[in-house]
Amino acid sequence: MAELSETYACVPSTERGRGILISGDPKSDSIVYCNGRSVIIRSLGRPLEASIYGEHAYQATVARFSPNGEWVASADVSGTVRIWGRHGDRVLKNEFRVLSGRIDDLQWSPDGQRIVASGDGKGKSFVRAFMWDSGTNVGEFDGHSRRVLSCAFKPTRPFRIVTCGEDFLVNFYEGPPFKFKLSQREHSNFVNCVRFSPDGNKFITVSSDKKGIIYDAKTGEKMGELPAADGHKGSIYAVSWSPDSKQVLTVSADKTAKVWEIMDDGNGKLNRTLECLGSGGLDDMLVGCLWQNDHLVTVSLGGAINIFSASDPEKTAIKFSGHMKSITSLSCLHQSGQKIILSSSYDGVIVRWLQGVGYVGKLQRKDSPQIKCFAAVEEELLTSGFDNKVWRIPLNEDQCGEAVHVDVGSQPKDLSFAVKFPEVALVSTDSGLAILRGSKLASSIKVGYTVTASAISPDGTEAIVGGQDGKLHIYSIAGDVLTEESVLEKHRGAITVIRYSPDTSMFASADANREAVVWDHITCEVKLKNMLYHTARINCLAWSPDSRMVATGSLDTCVIVYEVDKPASNRVTIKGAHLGGVYGLAFCDENSVISSGEDACVRLWRLIQQ
Amino acid sequence: MANATSGMAVNDDCKLKFLELKAKRTYRFIVFKIDETVKEVIVEKLGEPTQSYEDFTASLPSDECRYAIFDFDFVTEENCQKSKIFFIAWSPDTSRVRSKMLYASSKDRFKRELDGIQVELQATDPTEMGLDVIRSRAA
Repeated sequence: MAELSETYACVPSTERGRGILISGDPKSDSIVYCNGRSVIIRSLGRPLEASIYGEHAYQATVARFSPNGEWVASADVSGTVRIWGRHGDRVLKNEFRVLSGRIDDLQWSPDGQRIVASGDGKGKSFVRAFMWDSGTNVGEFDGHSRRVLSCAFKPTRPFRIVTCGEDFLVNFYEGPPFKFKLSQREHSNFVNCVRFSPDGNKFITVSSDKKGIIYDAKTGEKMGELPAADGHKGSIYAVSWSPDSKQVLTVSADKTAKVWEIMDDGNGKLNRTLECLGSGGLDDMLVGCLWQNDHLVTVSLGGAINIFSASDPEKTAIKFSGHMKSITSLSCLHQSGQKIILSSSYDGVIVRWLQGVGYVGKLQRKDSPQIKCFAAVEEELLTSGFDNKVWRIPLNEDQCGEAVHVDVGSQPKDLSFAVKFPEVALVSTDSGLAILRGSKLASSIKVGYTVTASAISPDGTEAIVGGQDGKLHIYSIAGDVLTEESVLEKHRGAITVIRYSPDTSMFASADANREAVVWDHITCEVKLKNMLYHTARINCLAWSPDSRMVATGSLDTCVIVYEVDKPASNRVTIKGAHLGGVYGLAFCDENSVISSGEDACVRLWRLIQQ
Repeated sequence: MANATSGMAVNDDCKLKFLELKAKRTYRFIVFKIDETVKEVIVEKLGEPTQSYEDFTASLPSDECRYAIFDFDFVTEENCQKSKIFFIAWSPDTSRVRSKMLYASSKDRFKRELDGIQVELQATDPTEMGLDVIRSRAA
């Protein structure tokens, strides 16, 4: 049996030039955001617990809790809104096709009966408000000619809806049934976000023209604006009111977040500026914010979530981050007595995680090329991307040293370290193999078959190479010369991964035809067969440190753990480990497996012996 | 019906042994083979009532097709002892295509001869006839 112990969740997916909208539930202190096709609910107090809802068929854009906290309404790029229960089985209450294009913002009415959604209607309707249980329309929303970026529902009676969009307009609707009342043209650029204050007296709009304007909530008339003197120097992407309706938090592309005090007459005064904590690069542009209870949450373009304290300006911010894109590989290292988990995704981001704590940091490299293959030992990383270079990066705790690169002639398909002698590494490309010693190409040979996977033994004397036809070729290495010794035939599909066991007595190979096989190293006899329980290609494989168990992860989203001494039917299956497929696996100790996948999350599972 | 069958005769012994399993429970399992020289389905192996499911899976060759009947005993949710007769068409991926075609086309006629099969199962590799699969089909 296996149970989920920790989840290192992904961060919201961001896009340059647009803000993102995150929301939360003050009662349970959770925030909700979207990444890819998943909606992620995280608790601010317990960052290692994250629940993920993956039922959308298209990329999810925004999600909100209902006012009573029981339901979540989430929307995606196809214009569909799904309303589901927050707890338990996540039962789907309703699904409506609301707009014909992507939905950018969604809000519940304060009584939880109506929902307003706005977005890109492709020329037809840009905004729709409907009853949450029947889907019937509750108003006509004309008045916009371009994508509507944000909408808001007045939290007190009389109900009003405000929408704002790319046509620089802020439209005010009265109802229900909602009808157009007036339009404000105060902004000179995209109006990114509109929010009502919790007491229902005012609403504020922020725009890419760096202004923030405050209006009266009942009539829609302009009351005042945020002073330009201390204002933002870049587009303001999002705004959030404090629970007492006296202050707002704004975030901007100038990498700062500002807290303003809003007076009763509608004018604003700068209270505090939250400087950016990062290195000041593009990734630190702030794109989303939320003021919940005492927390000021800001989200940056690079996906970093910073939590400041509203009442205590001196308190240092809690910062956490993660991956935004599919995680392609994972490894577990021992550094200064701790077990550090490194995960890398194809966009070149490498993140360090610590078991029990979560996010520790990102590895900054001078050039950040994309990463396709990744291998790590205690003090070094080996990466390769989509060009012909292989990079060796020395690792000092959390800093990367000077990287050196070697050109291997064509795109590397697989890389591995000889674990006992890390200066020796084997790189396989489509048509050949190369041995690297240090940062030099020691030797390379061309082979007559298409190479799909390779591994070098921990002592560097043997290499096993897998081909497109499913054959395993064993080579011996003597003085950097590779000589083919034998060929093993058992697999019926292209080999995807080969791994030696930590005690080097066995090796395991897996193919694209869903089968994995464990072989004895010396005799090349099959030790464990019939490991055919996956229903799609096997992407990754890992050995437990005591060489007793093998885990395989596949495109079918499952992770299966087999014991080498028992028949394959005594397996432990973890179903639905990662939406979209499992791409990385590692054992961090005898009883814990870490897996990572397409949903950009890393999960730690505990195996319970029965 | 003519082109669905391959004209394989069924040896009387098959029917007799099956009736014995059904009525008197003298066997745990029966493995049938198509004998191409005589062009009929014959009984290849018989299993004692004391033998288990593991013995049964071990008696099936991993690269040749077979038909099999297995008498599966289990306990239901209401705690009563029940047994179901499974017909398993064993067609492993590693066997020859000719063999698979032959067994597939003769299966229907053969099954009709054996009256009293409760569950039918087709397995193309050992994972598809694992004990957990059998248990889920029995319920």
